[in-house]
Amino acid sequence: MGRVIQLLLLLVVFSCNNQRSQTVLPAYTDDVLQSVIADTTGYYNNEILQQQLKIINKALQQPIPILLCEDTLNSKQLVAQSIAVNDSVFVNGCKNVVTKQPYRCEIFGVYPARESDMAAIKAPYLLNTCFRIELYNYALNNTIVAIVDNSQQKVLAIQNNNQTQPDIPAYLKKIAIKIAIESPQLQQAYGLKPTDKDALMASTKTALNRSHCERSRHLCVAPTFVKANKALWAIVDLSDFKLVGLRWTNTGTTGPAAPITERKLQDDKITACFCEKETALQKDDWKMNYMLTSSDGLRVSAVSYKNQPILQSAKLVDWHVSYSGTDGFGYSDAVGCPYFSQAAVIAIDPPMVAALKDETNKVVGFVLEQTFKSEGWPTPCNYNYRQRYEFYKDGRFRIAAASIGRGCGSDGTYRPVFRIAFANPQNNFGEWNGNSWQYWQKEKWQLQQANTAYTTQGYQYIINNKNNNGFFIMPGNGQFKDGGKGDNAYVYVTMQKTLPDEGEADLVTIGPCCNIDYKQGPEKFIEPMPDNIENKQLVIWYVAQLKNDNTKGKEYCWAEAVLKNGMYTTLMYPCFCGPMFIPNQQNKN
Amino acid sequence: MVTCKKILNALLLVTIINLVACKQQLVEYSDNNCKKNAAFINKLGLNASKAYFTTADKKIMGLVLVDASAEKPKVYQDSSWKKAGWLAPIQIDLEGNVYVGPAPFINVLYNPLSNQNTVYKVAAQSGIMAPFVQLPFDNSTQTQNPFGIIGLAYLCEANTLYVSTVAGSTIQFEKGCVYQVDATTGKIKNKISGIDVLGMGISYSSGQRKLYFGKARNSEVYSITLNEKGDFIGEPIFEFSLQGLGIRGDDKVRRIKSEKDGSLVVYGIEFNFNLVAPSEKLETIYKFVFNEEQKKWFFLL
Repeated sequence: MGRVIQLLLLLVVFSCNNQRSQTVLPAYTDDVLQSVIADTTGYYNNEILQQQLKIINKALQQPIPILLCEDTLNSKQLVAQSIAVNDSVFVNGCKNVVTKQPYRCEIFGVYPARESDMAAIKAPYLLNTCFRIELYNYALNNTIVAIVDNSQQKVLAIQNNNQTQPDIPAYLKKIAIKIAIESPQLQQAYGLKPTDKDALMASTKTALNRSHCERSRHLCVAPTFVKANKALWAIVDLSDFKLVGLRWTNTGTTGPAAPITERKLQDDKITACFCEKETALQKDDWKMNYMLTSSDGLRVSAVSYKNQPILQSAKLVDWHVSYSGTDGFGYSDAVGCPYFSQAAVIAIDPPMVAALKDETNKVVGFVLEQTFKSEGWPTPCNYNYRQRYEFYKDGRFRIAAASIGRGCGSDGTYRPVFRIAFANPQNNFGEWNGNSWQYWQKEKWQLQQANTAYTTQGYQYIINNKNNNGFFIMPGNGQFKDGGKGDNAYVYVTMQKTLPDEGEADLVTIGPCCNIDYKQGPEKFIEPMPDNIENKQLVIWYVAQLKNDNTKGKEYCWAEAVLKNGMYTTLMYPCFCGPMFIPNQQNKN
Repeated sequence: MVTCKKILNALLLVTIINLVACKQQLVEYSDNNCKKNAAFINKLGLNASKAYFTTADKKIMGLVLVDASAEKPKVYQDSSWKKAGWLAPIQIDLEGNVYVGPAPFINVLYNPLSNQNTVYKVAAQSGIMAPFVQLPFDNSTQTQNPFGIIGLAYLCEANTLYVSTVAGSTIQFEKGCVYQVDATTGKIKNKISGIDVLGMGISYSSGQRKLYFGKARNSEVYSITLNEKGDFIGEPIFEFSLQGLGIRGDDKVRRIKSEKDGSLVVYGIEFNFNLVAPSEKLETIYKFVFNEEQKKWFFLL
């Protein structure tokens, strides 16, 4: 009886309650970890694609720059297509209104009209002589639909649908499959080279095929290759004729799997592999770990050279962007991970490790680079930031970053805030006063100006220990041959503290957008009582000041979309900044 | 023994009532549109019938009142309206009180995490904004997720506010809650835990008043039945999904609006628990209608 009462009491108490403190979600699976963000750029060198490019270029040179439907059409469909492409309103959207340059446009299909197509069209018309012509504009990612009546020899209605894509024609399906199966990355993931017949679901358009290229706003389809109880999605970009990426999914038994799209593929892969865990990197004589942070960009830690600890960590805390046209207008952008982050501009590609070459093309080290990009870039008020670490075989290293525009105006100043924590527990910091190194006793800041003194080698500062083992610091003065024009940088030196933490952990926004003086954030760790920094573990904060420019021929921190071969491409004018650290004599090998 | 039997019978009766009540709570239909103009608007010399509140101005932090009666709209902001930093969801009650929730914009400079779980109320008479209810914070609140309150809904007949918060949620732990708050007293009456909810809305289907809400982590829309007091009845039920719809195909629900005919207008956006703020407003509007025979929602357009 007691148990029955207990049970009933439980029922009374909990039958309408909704108590559950948290839901634990599964960690990322191997399918995500092993997914591939393809690094292919440009076109594959195969016959079908080369032939297709010739056809596209030929169409772009025609007075009516439209590629006609490549699928087989009957005589009635051909008549309907001809009526449509000779209609000035229908084809008007295939040229830029201002420059009259052609957009890449293509008729994807000519179909018998349905009753639903005629809803807004006034009679008279004969339904069985009417056709629906679907045109896709690759450059603008929109679909123009014309309803044509062959018996009247005219276009009855035109509908423009922004950011939509029609069903793809059969020949594009073949190209998509070809791109997928010819990809070495797909062959490696699949275990062998699949055949055309192994591909499924490629004939439906992106939406029906349950895939999108949301970021590039390109036409994408996903040929899918099934193996045992798994399906390998190959997202193929038909605007650029390239593979976007690969990911396995379980085929399941309860219905279609959630679609794999460009954004999902990228965000999941980056989160699982670079936001949730560190990656160890050992190259030349350098060792380090790196990972993407919530809001401090790409962070390197435990950096050593020839087994000597050099940096505890380095990262990019904020980008402060102010516009002089409107007082106090601008943004403090953090860069970082795509999910669960305080980043306003996120990583959409994995960190890249590449060879670092000098002017003679000789490999002198390696770079670790990360791009953070707004989806709408390079349209106004969207941003693209690049973070770059350069590690040289001779022990030099550089911590750099660039804005590639485009921002909200041509009167902008970008102020990236670097935090560079050295590993040595007993360092000193000094500046060149024109004759000798003058060491700082307390935490302070200084601005690089026109009258700043440099050594003959261009060094402004030195950081070293009591054995004179350390680095000279060379700020950006336009000497790095990366387009940078000089940093005009604030340098702050603080003592590394753990309690309270002064930025070793992920930092929230450190300063406002629009201060034009030294108050960029790091001064909080100096004022009002600067600590002694003699023989201490030190942190260097480096805030460059980069004024953008859109003047023709002088573009800086800028980007411009231009129409080329029927598609928009981006001209980039990065403004790289950041100091180089050069081992002093005692630190050289 | 007799006493025990009586207790048992009473418990059985209560249980049966409760279980039945969970299954069916018929309420009289109304479109849940009772918001009244705040009295202070007229005192300011503004045209209350043409004025609206917004938190969407990218250049003015906080709550803004726009009087659109003139050709050039007048913009008003009380000094207290920006004290909570950037704001997002707004609800207005039947007396004209305005409830707002904070939400960081671009960065967290003006929206420290510790303030992100507080609902603020602008009093209808004075126009002054002040904290209304502070929702509990999870012990393990961390810095990755910058959000707290991200959804508000108001039920007229019960004068009840529903507040969704995702404070403390991480990529692996879904710790969000939907709170039922008495709009008169600010007292928390109940909550649904362990679910991250973004947009909400109240409607009426199958003879029941329901709170509809979109999950913040995927495109699914759920509902939970409400009784006449606005209390939650039963467990959330899956209703429909935005998956595959619209230009992105994976929108999350920002807001749900009920039409007079009972259909739902769903505002879908991209949301990934970060501070990406697209320069163009990428919102897609979806309309769903309820088929009474099949007891299912259908996507209309």
